[in-house]
Amino acid sequence: MTKDCRQRVPSAPLLRGGVSRRALIGALASAFLSQPLKRACAATGSLVFEHAYGISTLDRPAGRVVSLGYTTQDPLLALGVVPLAVRQWFGSFPYGVWPWAQPHLGDAKPQLLIGEVSMERVAALNPDLIVAIGSGISKAEYRVLSQIAPVLMHEADDADYGTPWDKMTRLIGRATGKTGEAASLVSTVRKQFADARERHPYWKGKTAVAGFHWRSQTGAFTGADTRAAFLAELGFRPTDRVAELSGPEEFYANLSPEDLSPLDADVLVWISNFDEAPDLVTLPMRKTLNAHHEGREVFAGALLAAAMSFGSVLSLPFVLEQLETDIAAAADGRTDTIVLSAQKAGLLP
Amino acid sequence: MKTWIWLSLLLCAALWLSLFSGARSVPLHDAVQAFIAADSTNADHVALLYVRFPRVVAGLVCGAALGAAGMAMQVLTRNPLADPGILGVNAGAAFAVTIGALLAGRADGALLAFLAFPGAAVAAVAVFTLGGGLRGNASPVRLTLAGAALSALLISLVTALVLIRGESLEVVRFWVVGSLAEARTRPLLVMSATALAGGAILLAIATKLEALALGETLSRGLGTRPRQVQATVLLAVTLLTGAAVALAGPIAFLGLMVPPIARRITGASLRPGILASAMLGATVLLFADVAGRLLFSPSEIPAGIMTALIGGPVFVLIARRLSPGAIA
Repeated sequence: MTKDCRQRVPSAPLLRGGVSRRALIGALASAFLSQPLKRACAATGSLVFEHAYGISTLDRPAGRVVSLGYTTQDPLLALGVVPLAVRQWFGSFPYGVWPWAQPHLGDAKPQLLIGEVSMERVAALNPDLIVAIGSGISKAEYRVLSQIAPVLMHEADDADYGTPWDKMTRLIGRATGKTGEAASLVSTVRKQFADARERHPYWKGKTAVAGFHWRSQTGAFTGADTRAAFLAELGFRPTDRVAELSGPEEFYANLSPEDLSPLDADVLVWISNFDEAPDLVTLPMRKTLNAHHEGREVFAGALLAAAMSFGSVLSLPFVLEQLETDIAAAADGRTDTIVLSAQKAGLLP
Repeated sequence: MKTWIWLSLLLCAALWLSLFSGARSVPLHDAVQAFIAADSTNADHVALLYVRFPRVVAGLVCGAALGAAGMAMQVLTRNPLADPGILGVNAGAAFAVTIGALLAGRADGALLAFLAFPGAAVAAVAVFTLGGGLRGNASPVRLTLAGAALSALLISLVTALVLIRGESLEVVRFWVVGSLAEARTRPLLVMSATALAGGAILLAIATKLEALALGETLSRGLGTRPRQVQATVLLAVTLLTGAAVALAGPIAFLGLMVPPIARRITGASLRPGILASAMLGATVLLFADVAGRLLFSPSEIPAGIMTALIGGPVFVLIARRLSPGAIA
């Protein structure tokens, strides 16, 4: 499932194979040759980014951008910078661009980078910026890529895949010379969240959990994960048991099939990336949860689950628009208000 | 007689632990209540009836089937390293199921599980043929190599197929590493019956298989028809392994490590050997599952990984004892 795509796809042995010896030698050679040139340029009004793998410097705002992060195409498109290439995370949409971002793509046809990162393909695009926030590339790959163009990584105090959406948007905005646009995009989305909180003041302080059930494994998204963060933006807090399971590097916690009580929140959103509603319907332990009996479950099927997983400046407003009514119906503490998505999935008590 | 009492006691201990240990502690009177008057809103009852009980049944059936199948394969191939996993039968079953799941678009357990049988059968015959079994000179090393090669081929094909489809590797995890965690969603009743049938066939043909183990010429003299016996044993092994894979995915090394212990306990006679091997197989698998459940609770380690952890060293031990050229 999605939570694992991020972990599995960029596994180290897989990626190491992606750096061909030729590319490495070529990159090292060019690094050696271009070193003095680079230092000379760095002095005059350039953009400096300090990040987890070091410092990247742009001489001027970038325009030819390769998007290596699994979700970075969204903020780029939102800022009007169509990437030369997009990294495929999951789903089968053309150019790796999901419906919430498609209007921003226009007629552009970015290349799709699937699986391991091919240095040669990136180099052939001749980019002036490689956005690799949330890409899972190793430091060795970072070094090679840096010889092709400046590489933007996550900041040192964020986890590999843990850069918050607003920070990601602002970083990319600065690198592409659109600081103002980025700030206004962020404040627009912030206002949408604030408006939603205002419409439903009783959400504040209630508990909400984003849960998943994949084959026989049930669990919850935790901490800074995009799905948990979305619920936090709406004023909810996780249940105490889920909060206990949260760690700085972990973005989900597996639960024992014998005890799903950590999921028993005022609002339980099932994140179902592959529309596995039937598996949930036939999960006996789910029927022991109060959230089930009191009609407080919300079902996020494939598209919404993906939008919550992306958790980007474009996908978050999309989720909010689609799920606000359902979350309100779940959180109001009344059994006669029916959660439509849960009804459609057959989850009602 | 004494050995059987011990074996039964061990198996009972494994069953008891399996039913009464886990993330949730269920008091005995609650457990009894769960079986008499189940309350679907009581988490203790649900844990017992829908999480632990199916696991115990699956562990019992799958472990016994693999123990018996391992014993039969080791005698048939006269190879102490024979095991449904090592000889590629597991991989064949997993491959067939994965192909089915990918073609059908959804990993729908119950129906697709039946594909495990043709998969296991084809792999069993292929390895036996590749290893020289038809010519009657299946040496331990040739069979093991043929099985390892076929396993590697099939598992990489499974991975490639999943990658091409662009789906998560999770789809395939169940069919590469066995686990009892999905027992609830598996066709328990049908597979238990299938395994029982396989076991019955095996027990019925046991004496003829013993004769065959003496060598083909000698067994012909004793009135057995080698090809027929071989085919019947392969059928039984296919039924047993297919049922085990359909319930729990490929459980590694279980069919390898249990039979030698069983033989040591029961002696050379095959019929009690198969029974003891089945009981030990179930015991080991249930203990492995309990350990996997408790070690990093609430996360679980699949039983297939636990058996591989124990079975790997056993494999090395047996392989080291084989003297070159000897037929065990």
